[in-house]
Amino acid sequence: PVSSLAVAYGTSLASQGRDIVDRNIDRLVPVGRLKYYFAVDTVYVGRKLGLLVFPFMHQDWQVRYQQDAPVAPRFDVNAPDLYIPVMAFITYVLVAGLALGTQNRFSPDSLGLQASSALAWLIVEVLAILLSLYLVTVNTDLTTIDLIAFSGYKYVGMIVGLVSGLLFGKTGYYVVLGWCCISIFVFMIKTLRLKILSEAAAEGVLVRGAKNQLRMYLTMAIAAVQPLFMYWLTYHLIR
Amino acid sequence: LVELGINFDHIWQKTLTVLHPLKVADGSIMNETDLAGPMVFCLAFGATLLLAGKIQFGYVYGISAIGCLGMFCLLNLMSMTGVSFGCVASVLGYCLLPMILLSTFAVVFSLQGMMGIILAAGIIGWCSFSASKIFISALAMEGQQLLVAYPCALLYGVFALISVF
Repeated sequence: PVSSLAVAYGTSLASQGRDIVDRNIDRLVPVGRLKYYFAVDTVYVGRKLGLLVFPFMHQDWQVRYQQDAPVAPRFDVNAPDLYIPVMAFITYVLVAGLALGTQNRFSPDSLGLQASSALAWLIVEVLAILLSLYLVTVNTDLTTIDLIAFSGYKYVGMIVGLVSGLLFGKTGYYVVLGWCCISIFVFMIKTLRLKILSEAAAEGVLVRGAKNQLRMYLTMAIAAVQPLFMYWLTYHLIR
Repeated sequence: LVELGINFDHIWQKTLTVLHPLKVADGSIMNETDLAGPMVFCLAFGATLLLAGKIQFGYVYGISAIGCLGMFCLLNLMSMTGVSFGCVASVLGYCLLPMILLSTFAVVFSLQGMMGIILAAGIIGWCSFSASKIFISALAMEGQQLLVAYPCALLYGVFALISVF
Protein backbone atom coordinates (compact mmCIF):
# COMPACT_ATOMS: atom_id res chain seq x y z
CA PRO A 1 0.00 0.00 0.00
CA VAL A 2 1.84 3.11 1.19
CA SER A 3 5.26 1.47 1.12
CA SER A 4 4.94 0.36 -2.50
CA LEU A 5 3.86 3.90 -3.39
CA ALA A 6 6.93 5.25 -1.64
CA VAL A 7 9.17 2.79 -3.50
CA ALA A 8 7.67 3.79 -6.84
CA TYR A 9 8.14 7.47 -6.02
CA GLY A 10 11.72 6.86 -4.98
CA THR A 11 12.64 5.06 -8.19
CA SER A 12 11.00 7.74 -10.31
CA LEU A 13 13.00 10.42 -8.46
CA ALA A 14 16.20 8.46 -9.06
CA SER A 15 15.57 8.12 -12.78
CA GLN A 16 14.66 11.82 -13.00
CA GLY A 17 17.91 12.71 -11.29
CA ARG A 18 19.86 10.55 -13.72
CA ASP A 19 18.14 12.23 -16.68
CA ILE A 20 19.11 15.65 -15.40
CA VAL A 21 22.75 14.55 -14.94
CA ASP A 22 22.82 13.04 -18.43
CA ARG A 23 21.45 16.16 -20.03
CA ASN A 24 23.78 18.53 -18.22
CA ILE A 25 26.97 16.51 -18.36
CA ASP A 26 27.39 17.51 -22.00
CA ARG A 27 27.63 21.14 -21.00
CA LEU A 28 30.46 20.64 -18.54
CA VAL A 29 32.47 17.85 -20.15
CA PRO A 30 32.53 17.36 -23.93
CA VAL A 31 32.04 13.62 -23.83
CA GLY A 32 32.19 13.14 -27.59
CA ARG A 33 35.57 14.82 -27.89
CA LEU A 34 36.91 12.95 -24.87
CA LYS A 35 35.98 9.62 -26.43
CA TYR A 36 38.42 10.33 -29.26
CA TYR A 37 41.29 10.52 -26.79
CA PHE A 38 40.43 7.17 -25.21
CA ALA A 39 40.13 5.20 -28.44
CA VAL A 40 43.38 3.39 -27.84
CA ASP A 41 44.50 -0.19 -27.91
CA THR A 42 47.34 -2.12 -26.31
CA VAL A 43 49.70 -1.91 -29.28
CA TYR A 44 49.39 1.88 -29.39
CA VAL A 45 50.02 2.20 -25.65
CA GLY A 46 53.08 -0.02 -25.89
CA ARG A 47 54.53 1.97 -28.78
CA LYS A 48 53.79 5.31 -27.17
CA LEU A 49 55.44 4.31 -23.91
CA GLY A 50 58.47 3.20 -25.89
CA LEU A 51 58.50 6.57 -27.64
CA LEU A 52 58.31 8.42 -24.36
CA VAL A 53 61.46 6.81 -23.00
CA PHE A 54 63.34 6.52 -26.29
CA PRO A 55 62.26 9.12 -28.84
CA PHE A 56 65.55 9.30 -30.66
CA MET A 57 65.00 6.79 -33.47
CA HIS A 58 61.52 7.83 -34.56
CA GLN A 59 61.52 9.65 -37.87
CA ASP A 60 58.04 10.74 -38.76
CA TRP A 61 56.25 12.82 -36.13
CA GLN A 62 53.39 14.12 -38.25
CA VAL A 63 49.87 13.18 -37.19
CA ARG A 64 47.93 11.54 -39.96
CA TYR A 65 44.68 13.20 -40.96
CA GLN A 66 41.60 11.72 -42.52
CA GLN A 67 39.24 14.15 -44.20
CA ASP A 68 40.12 17.11 -42.03
CA ALA A 69 39.88 15.29 -38.73
CA PRO A 70 42.89 13.72 -37.02
CA VAL A 71 42.96 9.96 -37.01
CA ALA A 72 42.13 8.17 -33.75
CA PRO A 73 45.10 7.20 -31.56
CA ARG A 74 44.51 3.55 -32.37
CA PHE A 75 45.78 4.06 -35.89
CA ASP A 76 48.52 6.61 -35.47
CA VAL A 77 51.22 6.50 -32.83
CA ASN A 78 51.80 10.27 -33.07
CA ALA A 79 48.31 11.26 -32.00
CA PRO A 80 47.90 12.43 -28.39
CA ASP A 81 45.69 10.40 -26.07
CA LEU A 82 44.38 10.79 -22.54
CA TYR A 83 44.57 7.18 -21.33
CA ILE A 84 48.32 7.24 -20.67
CA PRO A 85 48.34 10.61 -18.82
CA VAL A 86 45.36 9.66 -16.62
CA MET A 87 46.77 6.23 -15.74
CA ALA A 88 50.23 7.71 -15.20
CA PHE A 89 48.85 10.35 -12.84
CA ILE A 90 47.00 7.78 -10.73
CA THR A 91 50.01 5.45 -10.71
CA TYR A 92 52.23 8.38 -9.69
CA VAL A 93 50.01 9.12 -6.69
CA LEU A 94 50.03 5.44 -5.66
CA VAL A 95 53.80 5.05 -6.13
CA ALA A 96 54.30 8.26 -4.12
CA GLY A 97 52.21 6.69 -1.36
CA LEU A 98 54.34 3.55 -1.57
CA ALA A 99 57.55 5.59 -1.38
CA LEU A 100 56.26 7.46 1.66
CA GLY A 101 55.20 4.16 3.19
CA THR A 102 58.65 2.63 2.93
CA GLN A 103 60.04 5.67 4.72
CA ASN A 104 57.32 5.47 7.39
CA ARG A 105 56.05 8.88 6.45
CA PHE A 106 52.76 7.55 5.12
CA SER A 107 49.34 8.70 6.13
CA PRO A 108 46.19 8.95 3.98
CA ASP A 109 46.31 12.72 4.31
CA SER A 110 49.73 12.92 2.71
CA LEU A 111 48.43 10.87 -0.22
CA GLY A 112 45.68 13.41 -0.75
CA LEU A 113 48.24 16.19 -0.43
CA GLN A 114 50.47 14.67 -3.11
CA ALA A 115 47.54 14.17 -5.45
CA SER A 116 46.17 17.67 -5.08
CA SER A 117 49.53 19.39 -5.38
CA ALA A 118 50.37 17.46 -8.56
CA LEU A 119 46.97 18.32 -9.99
CA ALA A 120 47.40 21.98 -9.07
CA TRP A 121 50.81 22.16 -10.81
CA LEU A 122 49.31 20.53 -13.89
CA ILE A 123 46.57 23.14 -14.06
CA VAL A 124 49.08 25.97 -13.57
CA GLU A 125 51.27 24.60 -16.34
CA VAL A 126 48.42 24.19 -18.82
CA LEU A 127 47.15 27.71 -18.08
CA ALA A 128 50.63 29.16 -18.51
CA ILE A 129 51.05 27.44 -21.88
CA LEU A 130 47.63 28.61 -23.02
CA LEU A 131 48.45 32.17 -21.99
CA SER A 132 51.77 32.20 -23.79
CA LEU A 133 50.24 30.70 -26.92
CA TYR A 134 47.63 33.43 -26.85
CA LEU A 135 50.21 36.17 -26.36
CA VAL A 136 52.39 34.97 -29.21
CA THR A 137 49.27 34.78 -31.45
CA VAL A 138 50.07 31.42 -32.85
CA ASN A 139 47.57 29.77 -35.17
CA THR A 140 47.61 26.19 -34.09
CA ASP A 141 45.02 23.50 -33.78
CA LEU A 142 46.19 22.59 -30.30
CA THR A 143 43.16 22.28 -28.07
CA THR A 144 43.20 22.50 -24.30
CA ILE A 145 42.75 18.74 -24.06
CA ASP A 146 45.81 18.23 -26.29
CA LEU A 147 47.84 20.39 -23.90
CA ILE A 148 46.59 18.43 -20.90
CA ALA A 149 47.61 15.22 -22.68
CA PHE A 150 51.10 16.54 -23.49
CA SER A 151 51.62 17.83 -19.97
CA GLY A 152 50.53 14.49 -18.59
CA TYR A 153 53.14 12.49 -20.49
CA LYS A 154 55.90 13.50 -18.10
CA TYR A 155 54.28 11.46 -15.32
CA VAL A 156 55.49 8.31 -17.09
CA GLY A 157 59.10 9.42 -16.70
CA MET A 158 58.47 10.40 -13.09
CA ILE A 159 57.08 6.95 -12.29
CA VAL A 160 60.03 5.18 -13.88
CA GLY A 161 62.43 7.43 -11.95
CA LEU A 162 60.59 6.87 -8.66
CA VAL A 163 60.49 3.09 -9.08
CA SER A 164 64.19 2.90 -9.86
CA GLY A 165 64.86 5.19 -6.91
CA LEU A 166 62.93 2.79 -4.67
CA LEU A 167 64.78 -0.22 -6.03
CA PHE A 168 68.30 1.13 -6.49
CA GLY A 169 68.62 4.10 -4.16
CA LYS A 170 69.65 7.63 -4.94
CA THR A 171 72.08 6.90 -7.77
CA GLY A 172 69.49 4.82 -9.62
CA TYR A 173 66.97 7.61 -9.19
CA TYR A 174 69.25 10.33 -10.55
CA VAL A 175 70.49 8.31 -13.51
CA VAL A 176 67.05 7.17 -14.62
CA LEU A 177 65.44 10.56 -13.97
CA GLY A 178 68.16 12.29 -16.00
CA TRP A 179 67.56 9.93 -18.92
CA CYS A 180 63.79 10.46 -18.73
CA CYS A 181 64.23 14.23 -18.57
CA ILE A 182 66.29 14.21 -21.74
CA SER A 183 63.82 11.96 -23.54
CA ILE A 184 60.76 13.99 -22.56
CA PHE A 185 62.58 17.17 -23.66
CA VAL A 186 63.30 15.68 -27.10
CA PHE A 187 59.79 14.23 -27.35
CA MET A 188 58.13 17.57 -26.57
CA ILE A 189 60.32 19.51 -28.98
CA LYS A 190 59.70 17.13 -31.84
CA THR A 191 55.96 16.99 -31.22
CA LEU A 192 55.38 20.68 -30.59
CA ARG A 193 57.63 21.79 -33.43
CA LEU A 194 55.12 20.55 -35.95
CA LYS A 195 52.23 22.22 -34.24
CA ILE A 196 53.58 25.61 -33.25
CA LEU A 197 56.19 26.54 -35.82
CA SER A 198 55.22 27.49 -39.33
CA GLU A 199 55.29 25.01 -42.19
CA ALA A 200 58.64 25.97 -43.62
CA ALA A 201 60.47 25.91 -40.35
CA ALA A 202 58.97 22.56 -39.43
CA GLU A 203 60.53 21.01 -42.49
CA GLY A 204 63.96 22.01 -41.38
CA VAL A 205 64.49 25.08 -43.50
CA LEU A 206 65.82 27.85 -41.31
CA VAL A 207 63.39 30.71 -41.65
CA ARG A 208 64.67 33.95 -40.20
CA GLY A 209 62.16 36.33 -38.82
CA ALA A 210 61.17 37.58 -35.43
CA LYS A 211 57.94 35.63 -35.37
CA ASN A 212 59.53 32.28 -35.99
CA GLN A 213 62.28 32.88 -33.48
CA LEU A 214 59.71 33.74 -30.86
CA ARG A 215 57.82 30.56 -31.63
CA MET A 216 60.98 28.51 -31.39
CA TYR A 217 61.80 30.05 -28.00
CA LEU A 218 58.28 29.24 -26.86
CA THR A 219 58.62 25.60 -27.92
CA MET A 220 61.94 25.28 -26.15
CA ALA A 221 60.55 26.92 -23.03
CA ILE A 222 57.60 24.55 -22.89
CA ALA A 223 59.88 21.57 -23.39
CA ALA A 224 62.40 22.79 -20.82
CA VAL A 225 59.76 23.28 -18.16
CA GLN A 226 58.90 19.56 -18.21
CA PRO A 227 62.16 18.23 -16.70
CA LEU A 228 61.96 20.97 -14.07
CA PHE A 229 58.54 19.77 -13.00
CA MET A 230 59.67 16.16 -13.08
CA TYR A 231 62.45 16.91 -10.63
CA TRP A 232 60.34 19.23 -8.46
CA LEU A 233 57.54 16.74 -7.97
CA THR A 234 59.70 13.75 -7.12
CA TYR A 235 62.84 14.74 -5.27
CA HIS A 236 61.19 15.02 -1.88
CA LEU A 237 60.01 11.41 -2.16
CA ILE A 238 63.47 9.88 -2.38
CA ARG A 239 65.61 10.06 0.72
CA LEU B 1 13.83 -15.64 -3.49
CA VAL B 2 12.79 -15.39 -7.13
CA GLU B 3 10.75 -12.30 -6.24
CA LEU B 4 13.80 -10.65 -4.76
CA GLY B 5 15.56 -11.23 -8.06
CA ILE B 6 18.28 -13.47 -6.65
CA ASN B 7 18.92 -16.16 -9.20
CA PHE B 8 21.25 -18.75 -7.69
CA ASP B 9 22.08 -20.38 -10.99
CA HIS B 10 23.40 -17.12 -12.49
CA ILE B 11 25.34 -16.29 -9.35
CA TRP B 12 27.00 -19.68 -9.47
CA GLN B 13 27.81 -19.30 -13.17
CA LYS B 14 29.43 -15.91 -12.64
CA THR B 15 31.43 -17.21 -9.69
CA LEU B 16 32.74 -20.07 -11.83
CA THR B 17 33.76 -17.61 -14.53
CA VAL B 18 35.84 -15.71 -12.00
CA LEU B 19 37.39 -18.87 -10.59
CA HIS B 20 38.56 -20.21 -13.97
CA PRO B 21 40.64 -17.36 -15.36
CA LEU B 22 41.57 -19.23 -18.50
CA LYS B 23 38.05 -20.15 -19.54
CA VAL B 24 36.53 -17.90 -22.18
CA ALA B 25 33.70 -15.77 -20.76
CA ASP B 26 30.23 -15.59 -22.22
CA GLY B 27 29.18 -12.05 -23.09
CA SER B 28 25.56 -12.41 -22.14
CA ILE B 29 25.96 -13.31 -18.48
CA MET B 30 26.28 -9.68 -17.54
CA ASN B 31 22.94 -8.71 -18.94
CA GLU B 32 21.15 -8.70 -15.63
CA THR B 33 23.16 -6.82 -13.08
CA ASP B 34 22.72 -8.33 -9.67
CA LEU B 35 24.34 -6.87 -6.64
CA ALA B 36 23.55 -9.73 -4.26
CA GLY B 37 26.65 -11.77 -5.05
CA PRO B 38 29.08 -8.84 -4.81
CA MET B 39 27.47 -7.73 -1.57
CA VAL B 40 28.13 -11.18 -0.08
CA PHE B 41 31.74 -11.08 -1.26
CA CYS B 42 32.34 -7.60 0.16
CA LEU B 43 30.93 -8.66 3.52
CA ALA B 44 33.08 -11.79 3.48
CA PHE B 45 36.15 -9.66 2.71
CA GLY B 46 35.33 -7.32 5.57
CA ALA B 47 34.81 -10.31 7.87
CA THR B 48 38.20 -11.84 7.04
CA LEU B 49 39.84 -8.43 7.57
CA LEU B 50 38.13 -8.25 10.96
CA LEU B 51 39.47 -11.70 11.83
CA ALA B 52 42.96 -10.44 11.07
CA GLY B 53 42.42 -7.55 13.43
CA LYS B 54 42.13 -4.69 10.96
CA ILE B 55 39.01 -2.63 11.57
CA GLN B 56 39.11 -0.53 8.42
CA PHE B 57 35.64 -0.82 6.91
CA GLY B 58 35.62 2.89 6.11
CA TYR B 59 38.63 2.58 3.82
CA VAL B 60 37.18 -0.48 2.06
CA TYR B 61 33.89 1.26 1.32
CA GLY B 62 35.52 4.52 0.28
CA ILE B 63 38.05 2.91 -2.01
CA SER B 64 35.52 0.61 -3.62
CA ALA B 65 33.15 3.51 -4.26
CA ILE B 66 35.84 5.69 -5.82
CA GLY B 67 37.25 2.75 -7.78
CA CYS B 68 33.85 1.78 -9.17
CA LEU B 69 33.16 5.37 -10.18
CA GLY B 70 36.53 5.65 -11.89
CA MET B 71 36.12 2.37 -13.78
CA PHE B 72 32.61 3.43 -14.80
CA CYS B 73 33.87 6.69 -16.33
CA LEU B 74 36.84 4.99 -18.01
CA LEU B 75 34.78 2.15 -19.53
CA ASN B 76 32.16 4.57 -20.79
CA LEU B 77 34.87 6.58 -22.53
CA MET B 78 36.72 3.59 -23.93
CA SER B 79 33.96 1.39 -25.25
CA MET B 80 31.66 1.87 -28.21
CA THR B 81 28.54 0.97 -26.23
CA GLY B 82 28.19 2.42 -22.76
CA VAL B 83 27.91 0.56 -19.48
CA SER B 84 25.64 1.09 -16.54
CA PHE B 85 27.07 1.69 -13.10
CA GLY B 86 25.37 -1.42 -11.71
CA CYS B 87 27.15 -3.61 -14.25
CA VAL B 88 30.56 -2.19 -13.32
CA ALA B 89 29.92 -2.57 -9.60
CA SER B 90 28.65 -6.11 -10.08
CA VAL B 91 31.68 -7.27 -12.09
CA LEU B 92 34.19 -5.64 -9.76
CA GLY B 93 32.42 -7.18 -6.77
CA TYR B 94 32.48 -10.67 -8.24
CA CYS B 95 36.18 -10.48 -9.03
CA LEU B 96 36.87 -9.61 -5.39
CA LEU B 97 36.55 -13.34 -4.64
CA PRO B 98 40.28 -14.23 -4.94
CA MET B 99 41.09 -11.24 -2.71
CA ILE B 100 39.11 -12.99 0.05
CA LEU B 101 41.56 -15.90 -0.29
CA LEU B 102 44.43 -13.46 0.22
CA SER B 103 42.97 -11.91 3.34
CA THR B 104 42.18 -15.36 4.78
CA PHE B 105 45.87 -16.18 4.36
CA ALA B 106 46.72 -12.92 6.10
CA VAL B 107 44.77 -14.09 9.15
CA VAL B 108 46.98 -17.12 9.66
CA PHE B 109 50.37 -16.17 8.20
CA SER B 110 51.90 -12.73 7.99
CA LEU B 111 52.23 -11.53 4.42
CA GLN B 112 55.06 -9.10 4.83
CA GLY B 113 57.83 -11.21 3.41
CA MET B 114 58.88 -12.12 -0.11
CA MET B 115 56.39 -15.03 -0.17
CA GLY B 116 53.59 -12.66 0.77
CA ILE B 117 54.49 -10.15 -1.92
CA ILE B 118 54.60 -12.83 -4.60
CA LEU B 119 51.29 -14.26 -3.43
CA ALA B 120 49.68 -10.81 -3.37
CA ALA B 121 50.96 -10.02 -6.84
CA GLY B 122 49.60 -13.32 -8.15
CA ILE B 123 46.18 -12.75 -6.62
CA ILE B 124 46.00 -9.19 -7.96
CA GLY B 125 46.87 -10.50 -11.41
CA TRP B 126 44.18 -13.17 -11.16
CA CYS B 127 41.48 -10.68 -10.06
CA SER B 128 42.26 -8.09 -12.72
CA PHE B 129 42.64 -10.70 -15.44
CA SER B 130 39.19 -12.16 -14.84
CA ALA B 131 37.60 -8.71 -14.39
CA SER B 132 39.04 -7.49 -17.68
CA LYS B 133 38.01 -10.72 -19.38
CA ILE B 134 34.39 -10.24 -18.35
CA PHE B 135 34.40 -6.56 -19.31
CA ILE B 136 35.89 -7.29 -22.72
CA SER B 137 33.39 -9.99 -23.56
CA ALA B 138 30.42 -8.02 -22.27
CA LEU B 139 31.35 -4.79 -24.08
CA ALA B 140 32.94 -6.23 -27.22
CA MET B 141 36.19 -4.28 -26.99
CA GLU B 142 39.02 -5.87 -28.95
CA GLY B 143 42.69 -5.36 -28.33
CA GLN B 144 42.13 -3.55 -25.05
CA GLN B 145 42.27 -6.31 -22.46
CA LEU B 146 45.56 -5.19 -20.91
CA LEU B 147 44.35 -1.59 -20.92
CA VAL B 148 41.25 -2.56 -18.93
CA ALA B 149 43.23 -4.89 -16.67
CA TYR B 150 45.67 -2.16 -15.59
CA PRO B 151 43.16 0.09 -13.74
CA CYS B 152 41.56 -3.04 -12.22
CA ALA B 153 45.02 -4.09 -11.02
CA LEU B 154 45.51 -0.65 -9.44
CA LEU B 155 42.18 -0.96 -7.62
CA TYR B 156 42.78 -4.50 -6.40
CA GLY B 157 46.32 -3.50 -5.48
CA VAL B 158 44.93 -0.98 -3.02
CA PHE B 159 42.73 -3.71 -1.52
CA ALA B 160 45.76 -5.98 -1.26
CA LEU B 161 47.66 -3.18 0.49
CA ILE B 162 44.90 -3.04 3.07
CA SER B 163 45.09 -6.81 3.57
CA VAL B 164 48.84 -6.95 3.85
CA PHE B 165 49.60 -3.88 5.97
